[in-house]
Amino acid sequence: MNQPLLRLRDIGKSFFGNPVLQNISFEMQAGQTIGLVGENGAGKSTLMNILGGVLAPDSGDMELFGNTYCPDSPRASARAGIAFIHQELNLFPNLSVAENLFLSHFPKKLAWINRSELHKRSQELLARVGLDISPGTKVQSLSAGQRQLVEIAKALGEEARLIILDEPTTSLTDHEVRKLFRLLRELQSQQVSMIYISHALGDVKELCDRILVLRDGQVVADKMAADLQIPDMIRLMVGRQLDRLFPESKSQPGESIVLEANRISQPGVVHEISFQLRAGEVLGLAGLMGSGRTELARILFGLEPMAEGELRLLGEPVQRLSVSQRINKGMAMLTESRRVDGLCTQDSALANLTMVVAKKFTSRLGWIRRRSLHSSASQMAEAVRLNLAEGMNQAVCTLSGGNQQKVVLGKWLLNKPKLLILDEPTRGIDVGAKFEIYALIDQLACEGAGILVISSEIDELMGICDRILVMSQGELKDELQSREFNRERILKSALHADAIWEGDV
Amino acid sequence: MNGIFKLLGPCVLVGLLGLCGCRPAATGGSNAAGSKPDGRLTIGVAFETLQTEYWVAGFEAIKAELTTRDAEVLEAIADSDPNRQLRQVRNFITRGVDGIIMVPKDAKSCIPAIRAANDAGIPIVLFNRPAGETDAVSVAIQADNFRIAKETTEFLLEQARKTGQKHKAMIVMGDLGDVNAIGRKDGFDAAVAGNQDIVEVVSRVPSEWNQEKAQAGVVNGLQAHPDISLIFTSSDFLLPSIVSALKSADKYHKIGESGHVILGGFDGDATTFKMLEEGYLDATGVQDVYFEAEQTVQAVMDLIEGKDVPPLIEDPGFVIHQGNMQEMAPRTWGANVR
Amino acid sequence: MLRIVRRIVQSGYLTLVLSFLYALLMAWAAPGFATLANATNIVDAMLPLLIVATGQTIVLMTAGIDLSATAIIALTSVVGAWIVTGDDGLLAEHPAATPIAILCMLLVGSLVGLGNGMCIAWVKMPPFIVTLSTMMLVSGLSEWMTQSRSIYNLPDSFLFFGKNIGVAFAIAVVVAISGQLLLTRTWLGASLKHIGSNPATARTSGIQIERGILATYAISGCCAAIASLLITAQLETGSPVQWENNLLDIIGATVIGGTSLFGGRANVAWTACGVLLLTLIDNSLNLLNLSHFSIMMAKGGVILLAAWLDTLRNRWEQQ
Repeated sequence: MNQPLLRLRDIGKSFFGNPVLQNISFEMQAGQTIGLVGENGAGKSTLMNILGGVLAPDSGDMELFGNTYCPDSPRASARAGIAFIHQELNLFPNLSVAENLFLSHFPKKLAWINRSELHKRSQELLARVGLDISPGTKVQSLSAGQRQLVEIAKALGEEARLIILDEPTTSLTDHEVRKLFRLLRELQSQQVSMIYISHALGDVKELCDRILVLRDGQVVADKMAADLQIPDMIRLMVGRQLDRLFPESKSQPGESIVLEANRISQPGVVHEISFQLRAGEVLGLAGLMGSGRTELARILFGLEPMAEGELRLLGEPVQRLSVSQRINKGMAMLTESRRVDGLCTQDSALANLTMVVAKKFTSRLGWIRRRSLHSSASQMAEAVRLNLAEGMNQAVCTLSGGNQQKVVLGKWLLNKPKLLILDEPTRGIDVGAKFEIYALIDQLACEGAGILVISSEIDELMGICDRILVMSQGELKDELQSREFNRERILKSALHADAIWEGDV
Repeated sequence: MNGIFKLLGPCVLVGLLGLCGCRPAATGGSNAAGSKPDGRLTIGVAFETLQTEYWVAGFEAIKAELTTRDAEVLEAIADSDPNRQLRQVRNFITRGVDGIIMVPKDAKSCIPAIRAANDAGIPIVLFNRPAGETDAVSVAIQADNFRIAKETTEFLLEQARKTGQKHKAMIVMGDLGDVNAIGRKDGFDAAVAGNQDIVEVVSRVPSEWNQEKAQAGVVNGLQAHPDISLIFTSSDFLLPSIVSALKSADKYHKIGESGHVILGGFDGDATTFKMLEEGYLDATGVQDVYFEAEQTVQAVMDLIEGKDVPPLIEDPGFVIHQGNMQEMAPRTWGANVR
Repeated sequence: MLRIVRRIVQSGYLTLVLSFLYALLMAWAAPGFATLANATNIVDAMLPLLIVATGQTIVLMTAGIDLSATAIIALTSVVGAWIVTGDDGLLAEHPAATPIAILCMLLVGSLVGLGNGMCIAWVKMPPFIVTLSTMMLVSGLSEWMTQSRSIYNLPDSFLFFGKNIGVAFAIAVVVAISGQLLLTRTWLGASLKHIGSNPATARTSGIQIERGILATYAISGCCAAIASLLITAQLETGSPVQWENNLLDIIGATVIGGTSLFGGRANVAWTACGVLLLTLIDNSLNLLNLSHFSIMMAKGGVILLAAWLDTLRNRWEQQ
């Protein structure tokens, strides 16, 4: 058998102690097209970043054409013959197509750029990808699909031996997608090797020779496309056993409505979102990255504007209120990224815990009643089981991810919220801390708060929620009561790909 | 509580410093009295700025004079900041100088510094700029602006008389809040008053000691009165502006050429001396920096020895013109700073 | 080893220790340094600087900067002198002239600061360019008001604040302690810390960033006005260029103290240490008869060093 084009052995990578990739091994032959599928956070992007030289693996080794391959930069990977076509394209919009195509290797005559040669070779490349435009056209005047093709032409021009396509179809029209596929098939017939990453499972099955399914940083299936049906793919993507324990839910949704959203719209972000959240209810919001779930949460909390719609908290309209007014009314929100807008990482745990509530411990002259504030903060630290080796003055940046998240949660709980929005509450934290956070969520629900949880982990939502809403492309697509929880159905709605497997499931 | 302690820290430190200070102060008391073991005097020289040639020339002349008298010189330049100058004078006092020579920023803001020297019993002499009316005691050396300006103008009028025509004159005045500027204007007016038959002042340009304002004023004046044939400026540093205005009106010619405008100035800086040498300028009144420096140092020495010194010593200055140029050049600071 | 170095660099006492060592060195090297008279000189020079630097520290807490402080000193100096001066003053000889003048100075200082704050908080312009423009604008205004002339002949009731070092000391200490209490003990101070540490977090936590920023610049302007009172009274002159050249000293003293230019880390006690060290350097080099230029270079070097330490601390914290 001939030498494989690419061989990965035992690749592992972890961030802040959380394993993202574990023992990834696979081989691919020259001329093959491999599909890579998996849920958000399964490790696809990390793996591709390692191949593209953006990240270095913690363990394992890679071979390209039989040579050891360990790129230390994206340039190095490009030199080794790997072309990476991202979701966000890497062209210079203010330059011409020809200049973009030959940016790294202009045809030269002495020191001068050989214009006629540049023009001629650009035309050849554009012809190969079936683009009928002049090489002098500025990239900014091209459509998304045309730019995609220019990217591919660029990869061909650099004689890439392996082209990685990461979600190439997301911003394309149907017509452009068909055109792209025609081109990709042609490239396959010319023995160009590709790795194709997409959530559009039908596309993957149709286009690829072999499919790798990634879950929790591991390859859970490596099969020929013909042997793998779409429902199986979905099952493999999500289909782990409930290996994580969720605390037994003691909360019971009440009668009173905490939050009522009525036809909330913001152009380009969310469209006519309506739902109700009851006291004591834990409501899940599922959706892929970019589905508008985080944006919806930020709109509910007042961090982003909303163009239309009505929002009532405990019956009172709040859509015109500022963030701080909404907080005073009892809203709270744990944001998606605690480092960006959840914590002041250089400050102490005490300062962070008391950030929201200090105002309530302030005398009329503006003095903080430090003793009672301090004791409340200490009680809260205990209540959320915050593990502080150096006491309340320990800087938050020295804490583990789980403890940091507990600080954010504690900060909000001190304010006794009536509505708590949690965006990815367990991202990047260990299993033990996750369990504690689930328990806290349940406890808060028992106390009568309404809770909205956003998560990429469908298991998590199914484990802790009373009801799950599914979002896709800025709209609510599905609603599941706890008795109807079903991973495939959620993922299907989130992928918004009903058409592809209708009748299959 | 912690925060307050931290704040108290520096205060405590300063207190400690003071305590430390008490000990050397007891032994160093004789220092402050001025009798150094080697008998040399220490003089602090505090200049407001060194940004024009005139001050540099004065600074160098004073230092040279002090060195020839075997005195130690401490120097301080305040960079146009009267606050900094006050601190510098206080530092001189702390160092136990025997006398202080100061060029203040202006007549009034120097008074606290003079008072500080008075309180410490250290004589203080102001070079070229006297203090305003105050109870604080100082001695000042100052050019006799009125006299020098009058003599210079008289020389110009003499030249004018020789032409046998009646002349129209312009004066470029300084900042009229400055006693120097007023003295010079009054000197000019006094000279004109005695020669009404050959001269008429048609244009008075206020410059506020600002070159752009001077230039604009002269251009306007020349437009209104194209027949102006005599110009006196209250300071030489405005001459380049006047020359440029004359050039644009095509009135800049050497002495003896037709259309020459009789030009006179005040100060005697290097540019002016060059114009004199090249034959464009008729005369300029010179502040005798060397005389002033010598008198300043002499006054400090006299005060240290306890002699009586009049509160204002005037520098009579002199007029340098085409006729006495070679002879007076060595005494003209502008001829020596190039 | 690195840990020990870090501990020292990160502690707020570094500057105090340095000041003490430096003072010991200079007591030996500089003639006349260790005398009671000189200690008075040092404290005297520290006081106005400490007051303005307190305001600057509060601004730096929010990762802002107030470059207009010296211009506000000049403007309020002119305003105050213009009201009380015996030469055609607005309220010359009036018995209440001095208190009214002081009130007006504080008001003008705070209003200019508030103007800065509005541009920065509401219009969201960068503090650097806003306060730089304000500096020019306000300087021009004071020059125009006085036609570049100084104002003299201030009444004794006004000069009281400059003649008596005890009064000046009391004012400076009250301002500094109030500033410190504001930062450490009040809701506003806590908010400012969060705004400086991470404005995005402050926003999601319901802290009203705009109000906080408005307050800091107004306070800074007010501090500048108080300093201006001491300076004007001490010099017996209201001048449109009052303290023009001391901007770097103000920002330098806060940074030397350990207040971070990146925000979220500010302390008036540290600033007091920075003011002390900077004043000690200025005073001692003067006594050593170094020229004005070499003193400027020395101070510039020390401030650069402090800014470098700040960057270092910041990088360590990011890790």
